[in-house]
Formats: sequence, structure tokens, C-alpha cells
Amino acid sequence: MKAVAADISDKPSPARWRRIWRDRNGRLGLLFMGLVLLLALSGLILGADPNRIDIPQRLAAPSLAHWLGTDNLGRDLTARISAGTRSALTLALLIVAASAFLGAVIGTAAGLFGRWLDWIVTAIFDTLSAFPALILAFSLVALYGTGRQTFVILAILIFLPQFGRLARARAQALRHQSFVEAERLLGVHPMVIVLRHILPNIAGPLIVLAGMNIPVVITFEAGLSFLGLGVQPPASSLGTLIKDGFIYMSESWWPTIGAAGTLALATLGSTLLAETFRDILDPKSATDVEGRA
Amino acid sequence: MISFMNRRSFLAGGAVFAASPLLPPFMSVALAERKQAVVRVDVDIANLDPGNRIGTVDGNVILSVCQTLARFDAGKLTWSNDAAKEIKQISETEYTFELNPGQMFTDDYGEMTAEDVKFSFDRFITGDAKGKKLAYAEDLGTLDKVEVTGKYTGRLLLKHPSPALWLIGLCDASGAILSKKATEALGDKIATQIIGSGPYRLAEWRPKEQFVLEINPDYKGAAKAHFPRILAKFIAEPKTALLSFQGKELDFTAVDPSSAGEARKVEQAKVIEIEGIDYTWISLNVEKGALADPRVRQAIRLGIDIDMIIAGAYGGAVSRAKTLLAPGLIGAWPEAPLYNRDLEKAKALLAEAGQTGLSVSFTCLNEAVPMATAQIVQANLAEIGVTVTINAMDSGAYWAMGSDDKSKDLELTLIQYLSKFDPSFQTQWFLSAQVGLWNWQRWKSADFDRLHAEGLATTDTAKRTQIYVDMQKLLDESASCVWITHGRNFFIHADWLKPCLLPNAMNWQYEYFGEA
Repeated sequence: MKAVAADISDKPSPARWRRIWRDRNGRLGLLFMGLVLLLALSGLILGADPNRIDIPQRLAAPSLAHWLGTDNLGRDLTARISAGTRSALTLALLIVAASAFLGAVIGTAAGLFGRWLDWIVTAIFDTLSAFPALILAFSLVALYGTGRQTFVILAILIFLPQFGRLARARAQALRHQSFVEAERLLGVHPMVIVLRHILPNIAGPLIVLAGMNIPVVITFEAGLSFLGLGVQPPASSLGTLIKDGFIYMSESWWPTIGAAGTLALATLGSTLLAETFRDILDPKSATDVEGRA
Repeated sequence: MISFMNRRSFLAGGAVFAASPLLPPFMSVALAERKQAVVRVDVDIANLDPGNRIGTVDGNVILSVCQTLARFDAGKLTWSNDAAKEIKQISETEYTFELNPGQMFTDDYGEMTAEDVKFSFDRFITGDAKGKKLAYAEDLGTLDKVEVTGKYTGRLLLKHPSPALWLIGLCDASGAILSKKATEALGDKIATQIIGSGPYRLAEWRPKEQFVLEINPDYKGAAKAHFPRILAKFIAEPKTALLSFQGKELDFTAVDPSSAGEARKVEQAKVIEIEGIDYTWISLNVEKGALADPRVRQAIRLGIDIDMIIAGAYGGAVSRAKTLLAPGLIGAWPEAPLYNRDLEKAKALLAEAGQTGLSVSFTCLNEAVPMATAQIVQANLAEIGVTVTINAMDSGAYWAMGSDDKSKDLELTLIQYLSKFDPSFQTQWFLSAQVGLWNWQRWKSADFDRLHAEGLATTDTAKRTQIYVDMQKLLDESASCVWITHGRNFFIHADWLKPCLLPNAMNWQYEYFGEA
């Protein structure tokens, strides 16, 4: 039975993970994300307070004391960009993980049990997808105010339907597969079938989708913070750093360069990594990795 | 026979025509567009009802679209007759006026008569059509009644002598003469659709984008507009406005004090600098939670580093304010106490009030200077154990708190109000009757209200000065206001444009805008 299941499995395996390094885009993605992680941790390593105001040092150029300069209130940009990067990565991982988990659970249930549950879930997904992200953001902010919590709920609502639809489609395809039918005839509990056969078989595409969504969430968070709807001061966000940098651009361009560069590295790195994951994990879109290496 | 063209003029004309393609593109555009001036407004039109206007953007539109009995002269606080042919002072409490005949309201609302004057001013006495008191009722608060004595003539009868009546009432937006017929027909729509007989008419308004003033060909007064069109673009963020000016999208805009140095470097432009008389302060809602305790308010006042705000948020471009009225105004109080930061005293006051782990909200506009101020206050107050949550709002939502008691839940609020040259205009927003409207401290004082009324009726300058100093002392004792600055106003304009501003810098007289 396991052999049958393995034939169509998209499960990640250690061999597949190793192929990332053999791919040019994978290597670049790892390199960029390594740099971003280093930057994210640098603030913790250096121990600088991202919120310490030092007016005499406002808009200072990079120096030994402030490696990336300071912002309009004299705060250390290395510490602030580091904190903003940690915040962006943490939020992205949290939101993608939560959306993927909830989407997998709801989508699988809808795909397996069908009927009225499927109808309700599909209707909810369609409704959520119909709202433009910004309109939904403005509505939620008007109702619950700005802040990290509102942003997390908003982002989960936006990204959940993608994962849910994917899980639902895969579950529908799997429910009539012979190995699932066989388990059912043998009297195996439905939950065991889901855990043993359904979830492992939809994990690959979900991981690919999650990877592809990480840069989207990072830019979404930065965009909302740029508009003042995301992370609130004094907490640092790449979006608010870019906005502040834009405002004081004529006096100092270091804040913009630092924050925008980090955002570019983070989104590019995570996109390249996600594309490599997709090529490796998703059989339908897999390309010859070795040929491009 | 008259010769229109000789050989020399033909050759000169031909040479100009041949060279015209070589002109830089912006020059040809500029020459073609001198029929309009493009200005930037920082807030959108909000309410064009003269008695319920929200700010000076509304007021400037109202004054360019409507006539007043007398209009401020170009750039000065003196005035000349506008709708009035003649105004006579009969006594300290009685004036008579006679209107010019043939002054037509736009959109076929007929000729202006003394009935329109009575209707416009009576609204300040009796309220709007629903009897609701107008937000700016105090501007004409000294009016007892208006009597119509003929088609074009009437009498203004005051309750008491009023030194400020012309300065903040009749010549200002509150003195705008509306068409009775139009106002009754439009109802609530007068907030967005203004009918006047002034130099301009509001030809177009695209909310959150722009509005257009077009010259009113039927205007009969002396303040004939120079530009056929004034195009006002809404750009909230001052730094963005400066970038737009540099991109030649604007001919005139206010500049953030912290960007004045950069503005001076812009070519083909001039910078105007005017010492401010406005007032920016942090208001403390005396009705809200722990802030009801004056010791907590005093602690917060001592916990905030105003010099740091001046240096950090304003780039040191403004000076520090100690009290409500700016130096040079009647009622200025040079001996007002200066509250320098004293962390120990602030902590002691909080301990005395039994406050530990206090959390307050700080509401401000979502713009660069207010946001920088908010973050400095947040950091300052953290040092005395007060946690500040910043609530940044866009200008529409922020200024909407000036009605329907929406300000009741505010705690700390960063506010900038604009001033006029009579102190009563500034003090009126701190009256008990303004709670729920523009008194966001919600501080009420019967003594303050009484002094305000006395100040309005006193003509002796020394006595008035003492009255307004006493009022500021009451405000100071309340610890409901942490004064930051009176500001300094910077404007940048294209070198070909001659903007016209009243000395308070915020009243822009579009009708007097001209070419240098």
C-alpha cells in the first residue's frame, strides 16, 4: 500500500533538499537570505537599541558608531533595519504558516467531505478573495485600529483561501485514489487516512505555495506599514523605514538605501528560493535543475 | 491707413517663430499656463458653510467666492468696502451699511440685498436651519441683531463695543454674505456647494484631489482677480509637496520648517518666511481616566522634552512657545512659566497621584513632523513610566473629531490651530461651550468664559492685555496644555508668481495673487 502511495507523493526528501544548492537560483536565494538573516541578527548581536533617540546624531551618515547611519530622530539604522527585518521575517513565517495550516485543514475537510461543507467553504473563500487586499485592510483598520495583531488577522484572511483551495483540490483528487479507497474498505479511521495519506500528499504543493507567498507577505507588510496601516511606532518596519527615508531623502539617503536594499534582498532571496523549491518539489513544473546549474 | 506690420516686425516675428522650437519645453508650458496659478492645499475642502468651516482652506475658498461687507486689503489687516457701498459707525454699538446695487449671486440666485446680509449674520445668532449653534458663532458673538431698513440698507446692532468685530468677524470668512435663496434651497449641501458673488466661483471640486476657482465675470467689487483660474491640488504631506514643486507641478506651497534650507536651493523660485502666531500644543483631556488628576497632567508636562521636539521634529527651525498667545499679540504673556524637563519631579508627582504603569494614547496627524513629535513624546514619557500608544490619523478623520463630541475619548493629542490677530479668536476654542467641538482638552472654567466675554467687550488695550494674560494663567494652572511652538511659516513660490497672504500667513487671498 505504501508503495502505491509513494508513486504520486510530492513529499520533500533530503535528496531533494540537497538539490537546492546545485541550482544557481537556489544558491543565490540562499546567499541573499543568509545576508538578510545576518542583518536580522546583527541588531541582537551588536546590542544597539533600535528605539534610542539621539537628536544631535539625526540623519548621520554611516560611521563606526552607526554602521548604516541614523534616521531623522538619530536612531541607529543598523538596529532599526535589523529589527524591521526580524519583524518582517517573523510576520511572514507566522502568517504563511498559519494560513497554510488553516487552509490545509479547512480545504482538506471540504475536499474530503464535500456537500454542504464544501459549498460553504468555497463560498467563504470566494468572498474573501473578492475583496481587494487594500480595501480589506482599510476596513479592518477602521474597525480594529492599526497594529501587529490587526495585520496578522488581515494577512491570514487574505492568504488563507489560496492554501485552502489548493488543499481542497488535492484532497478531492486523492479521495477516490485506490490506496485511499482500500484503506477505507479495511476500516481505517478517516483521521488516520488524512494524517497518513492525504496530508503527506498535499504537503509538497503547500510548501511550494508557502515559499512563494513569503516574499508577497514581506512586501505586503512593508506596503501597509508605508501607508501607516501596519506596524506602529516606535516598532520598526521596513515599510516605515522606507517612508521615513523617502520623507527625509533630500537630507540623507542612507535610511532609504538601507531599508529598500534589505527589502529587495529579502524578497528576491525568498522568491529565488521558493522558485527552486517549486522546481524540485512540484513534479508538474519541475525543470532540469542540473542543466541550469 | 494704419500699417499693422512692417518689414522689420515681420522679420522679428519670423525669427521668434523659427526659434520657438528651441525654447526649453518648460518655458513654453509656463508661458502658456500663466492664465492660472497652481497652489497646494494641505487639507481638502471639508465644509464651506462660513459658520461651520473646518480650517483656513475652507475659509480661503469662502472669501474668494463670497463677498463681505468689507474686504481685507491685499496682504494687510486694513480693509476697504467690498459688498458695501458705505458703512457708517453711528455709535460704539451701532453701524449702518448700504450695499452696492447689482451684485449678483452666481448660478442665477439673484441680486444681493440687505435681507441676504441679515440672513447670513442671523445664522451666527440663532443657529443654522435646524437651530444648531454654528462652530464659529463666537466670531459674530457680539452682534445683537441685524435690521433691514431698505432693499440695500441695514443696521448692525451690537450687544457691547467690540474691538474684534471687523478683524475676526465681518472681514473674515464668518462675514461672508450668503444668498438666502440659495442657502435655503441647498440645505445641508451648502457644506460642499457654495454660492457667492465674489471674485471667484468654485467651478470644480474633486474630493481628495483638487478644486478649481474660476473668475466670476459678474463680480462688481474692487478686488478683481488677476488669474482666470486658481487650481488647488490636495497634497497632505509637506515633503511631498516640496518634491512636487521641484517637479514644477506647483507654483505655490507651504514648506515644512525643517525643509526650508532645501527650499532655498530650488532654482527659479523664492521662499517667503513669516514668523508664526499659530500654536501647536499637546492637549491633555482632563475628563479622561488618570488625566483627570492635575498631578498626572503636571507630571506629563514635566516629562516631555520640548527642546528635543523642536530640535528633532522641527529641525530647530522654530522657537519654543510658553503659552497660547504669540509674542507681539495683544495679551502676550512674556513672563509665562517655562516648564523644562524634570524627570524626578515628574515621577514624584505620578507617585503622589498613585499612578504606576500608566498607559495613554497620543493622537496626531499621520505626517512627518507630528509623527516625529509623537515618537519623541513616547520615548520621553517612557522614562517616567508612562506608556504611550501612538494613534496616527489621516487629516480627514483627525479634523472630523471637531464635531459631535468625537473628541471625548482622546487622551493626549497633538494639535496645531491657526491664529488671527485678535486674541479672542485664539481663546474662543478653550471655552466650555467648545467642549465636544474644538476644545479637545475638555477643560471648562467659568472664570475663563467670563474673561473671554469681558475681553470681547473691552476696548482699552491695556485692560484687554491683562484680561488675556489672566486667561492664560488659568490655562497654565489647568496643566491641560503642553505648548510646543508658535511656528514659523515658510512658503515657496515660482519666481514669476506674486502670492498674497495676510500677515498670519494662513489666510491666502487668491483674488490678489498676481504675476511678479
